[in-house]
Amino acid sequence: MAIVFEQVSFAYDERSLWRHSALEEVSLELGTGVFAAVAGSTGSGKSTLLQHFNGILKPTGGKVRVLDFTLQAGEKQPPLRELRRRVGLVFQFPEQQLFEDTVEKDLCFGPLNFGMGAEEARERASKALALVGLDDSFLPRNPFHLSGGQMRKVAIASVLAMDPDVIALDEPTATLDPQSRAELAELLSRLQREQGKTVIVVTHRMEEMLPYVDTWIVMKGGAKVFQGSPAELVRESGWLERECGLAVPACITTWNNIAARFGLEDEEPCLTSEKLAWRVARLLERPGQSIMREGGG
Amino acid sequence: MEGTGLAFELQQVSFAYGPEQPVLGDVTLDILQGSWVSLVGPNGCGKSTLAKLLGGLLAVNSGSIIVEGTPLLRETVQQIRPRIGMVFQNPDNQFIGATVEEDIAFGLEGRCLPRAEMVERVKRYADKLEIGHLLAKHPAELSGGQKQRVAVAAILAMEPGIVIFDEASSMLDEKARGELLNILREMKHSGKYTMISITHDAEEIMASDRAIVLRDGRIAADLKPRDLFGDEELLDSCRLIAPYEVRLVRELCRQGIRLPAGYCGEEVAEALWQLYSNK
Repeated sequence: MAIVFEQVSFAYDERSLWRHSALEEVSLELGTGVFAAVAGSTGSGKSTLLQHFNGILKPTGGKVRVLDFTLQAGEKQPPLRELRRRVGLVFQFPEQQLFEDTVEKDLCFGPLNFGMGAEEARERASKALALVGLDDSFLPRNPFHLSGGQMRKVAIASVLAMDPDVIALDEPTATLDPQSRAELAELLSRLQREQGKTVIVVTHRMEEMLPYVDTWIVMKGGAKVFQGSPAELVRESGWLERECGLAVPACITTWNNIAARFGLEDEEPCLTSEKLAWRVARLLERPGQSIMREGGG
Repeated sequence: MEGTGLAFELQQVSFAYGPEQPVLGDVTLDILQGSWVSLVGPNGCGKSTLAKLLGGLLAVNSGSIIVEGTPLLRETVQQIRPRIGMVFQNPDNQFIGATVEEDIAFGLEGRCLPRAEMVERVKRYADKLEIGHLLAKHPAELSGGQKQRVAVAAILAMEPGIVIFDEASSMLDEKARGELLNILREMKHSGKYTMISITHDAEEIMASDRAIVLRDGRIAADLKPRDLFGDEELLDSCRLIAPYEVRLVRELCRQGIRLPAGYCGEEVAEALWQLYSNK
């Protein structure tokens, strides 16, 4: 298991009058090499959850285990340096992570900080930048003169440059143009499939992550209310939308409507327009007959 | 509203942060008072820079900008800025107060409004953005989406005639985004605002009157939102993706199933069922 939470609670200002609880007894397990996504409405505790993955926040109740590291409420914490190299976190706003006067220095900072040679660090920087779809012409540029979307890509690259085992991203696609969003989802999926990275994404745009994610977690009021496969998420989307404020994307509601009409509830859901159109075309080829249980294409 | 009926007149506007990186070149366009314009285009195409020029936060290198009949110059910028409200991508950059209430009141204090009116406006716009229960909170206690709603409330409370939204909804969750979109629709409906929204959001673009497509710092297209989403090549070149329903209808068409455009929600399933049962 890459990440195990045992009844983890977290409260801001734990010991003061203004104590306010952000996580309530969250238990979850995420295996090594999964692509997980965390959804839930604004203020449901998604970002707080994510910040426990590399010890930025420590639980005020329960136990967090990430890779070989254990953080337990009330106990002295282990040294976190190695944990932070192996778990890369991309925050909600990229400009909070950028600080150097060139993109190259920013990308090299992590690798150098963790003891890598200058030459290797530069190589890593260039490679990481290519991964997010920016070429080497960006290396000498000032990150603060880039557009919002480009800054975000650089911030993601600066985390990839450290070659972490676990990559956790908080709303990584916000402010990117739609095609860059799709490319980033595809990149994360490639890192997971080809390099065995564990990827966890906090997202409120479920549609773009749906084709890649194998485990969905839904948060509400600081508690985990759902964990399951995409197919389970699709089946349970009704009450998650009604009771947990989950914004269910059009591709899921459309599938559920069509599945209900045509009796396809037990099938693997078709969640892209291509797959659904293909499935519908097969249905219409045989009007009036009993509905065949064939694959979704 | 007075003057020419035009909120903005741009003549051959060019801008660069440094000599080696031109950002905008030769942008000429008019924006009607009371209209709602979407500025769209790929990351780095110059959208946010154009927004800052329109808001008087940056000065043009060459060309001219006229705001509601007044040329935007060093001498006039102080007089023009109060007419324009800007809501940015990142709400952390525009938070000033120690509490939500102070933050909304900050701009009003700058305008020297009577206290009773300030109190009334803070309450009215806080309620409108559904942040009434957060008024006593410190910004650090808010989630990203909540902060953005505060930022929008603070701008609207100043009741500017022109409001520029620079990807204001991009950090909001789907629900809050829908709510913000409804607020934009209401603003449009009231007829009191000229609105410019920089956005990648298909629904937001569809709700506006006009889409101006920027590519590499130039105007690549200027058209009705509906036409934009009908033009696959143009969409691709400005890295946009059409809404799911539009894509589904297009894919169905590729499979030889013709549905009239404009179906949404349950209507698609219903229409397909009709086709199925009538065969």
